[in-house]
Amino acid sequence: MRDSNTPALLADHSTPLAWVAGRGVSRAAFLADVRALGQRIPAGGAHFNLCENRYRFTVAFAAILLRGGTNILPPNRARQTLSEIAERHPGAHALVDEPDLPIRMPVIPVTEDGTRPARDSAIPAIPADQLAIHAYTSGSTGHPTAHSRRWDSLHIVTQQALQRFGLDADGGTLVGTVPAQHMYGLESTVLYALLGPCTLLADRPFFPDDIRRALVDHAPANLVTTPFHLDACLRAGLAWPRAARVLSATAPLERERAQSAETLFGTTVREIYGCTEAGAIASRETARESLWTVYDGIRLTTLDSDQVAVQGPQHPMPVPLPDRIELEDAQHFRMCGRLADQLNIAGKRASLTELNRRLNAIPGVRDGVFIPPDPERTGGTARLAAIVVAPERSEAEILTALAETTDPLFLPRPLIRVDTLPRSATGKVPRQVLLDLLDQHSQCA
Amino acid sequence: MEQEVARLIVDSLNLEEVSPEDIEPEAPLFREGLGLDSIDALELALAISRAYGVQIRSDDENNRQIFASLRALTAHIEAHRSTS
Repeated sequence: MRDSNTPALLADHSTPLAWVAGRGVSRAAFLADVRALGQRIPAGGAHFNLCENRYRFTVAFAAILLRGGTNILPPNRARQTLSEIAERHPGAHALVDEPDLPIRMPVIPVTEDGTRPARDSAIPAIPADQLAIHAYTSGSTGHPTAHSRRWDSLHIVTQQALQRFGLDADGGTLVGTVPAQHMYGLESTVLYALLGPCTLLADRPFFPDDIRRALVDHAPANLVTTPFHLDACLRAGLAWPRAARVLSATAPLERERAQSAETLFGTTVREIYGCTEAGAIASRETARESLWTVYDGIRLTTLDSDQVAVQGPQHPMPVPLPDRIELEDAQHFRMCGRLADQLNIAGKRASLTELNRRLNAIPGVRDGVFIPPDPERTGGTARLAAIVVAPERSEAEILTALAETTDPLFLPRPLIRVDTLPRSATGKVPRQVLLDLLDQHSQCA
Repeated sequence: MEQEVARLIVDSLNLEEVSPEDIEPEAPLFREGLGLDSIDALELALAISRAYGVQIRSDDENNRQIFASLRALTAHIEAHRSTS
């Protein structure tokens, strides 16, 4: 019996840990890769895990843990974001499987592909209180914010989810369209395999036909995706195989879309509620349920500020949730929208205050505001717009400067330059005034 | 054909700022060129499959080249479109 103070690095199952280029990689072969890579990583400290290939990400993740260290998961790869995070972790190395790292730091290339011979060796244990990840969000205070999670807390949430979705019984392949560095991607496409009986797919299918082929090759597989990708699958006009399950997170899924996806994939669609701050905490069957049901052991409480906080065995302290939540009872809730400052573009979150701060920090920008997309808008993905006063800077220069700190999805389209912003006495610009400015502009174009 | 694909790009991505004639055939479509991103790539792939019956895939050998420019994208569609 393993000591609960040292949870295992890896669940001992007969199922492969991963499919790499069509080959199943056993858990013993994976462990051989982890031990070999571990010898090249400095002991302790925190290191960036930037691997794109999900197998290599998982090898790097486990190797960093094995060396007593913490995985740094950045919110994006913008140059300034990475360098601001790097400043907080002197001595950090970057574990990479692609050569194009935008900042200078010591690099450890990860080339493992599960072809090392498996040796018969015991599964290592990791101290429960070792920090496994620093998951960064882009923050609302001017700098990236770290949300750190202990190794035992990742164990707990994984067991809660495996049980909720019945994955502990039949496992299956995880076809994931989300990056492993994202909290949902980490939990649902890496940890379900590492700490459960599932098998992860090294590739990250992106286009609808990639997803279809992965689901055919591993049928019936679990599709771990987002409303953005589900929508693309629904519109692609392809013939789809049956999936074992469909999981969706990162943005709310409409009931009609969940129903269509259930027909398309011949299975139940389950939506996961979570956030970088707290991890996954609840789920619902969106086609039939509007209330969310928390995972076993999770409790919700209302704070003095009316904000709702979550606490479970994986949270040492209550964690305030970034959404407007209405409690039905201690186990069920309704999500009524995001807090005013939060934006969501194709499943990625950002703070409007923070985006405006970054825009106005660009040299030569005298004034500027981002305009969130119209929530009623239909068709295609809604984008941010921005109106800027910057007589000496071109649109392209402003966009290039913004791209240093900002995920490409949040770059404004269009970016409009004006002589002055009609700010009110309180310094605000009414939304209607901004929309009128946008309208005028598109008529001139 | 190149102009037809340029029109498809502008229409499917709602690029209000750009007219099809403005797209330089050899200029990059992504990042420093038209400034397209991954959402646009997916939207464009859906439009191309509807219009030409060509499925774009990540593991196509020259995926980066396919989206490298208007000219490269047009060439890829012409080489793979269903013969009709």
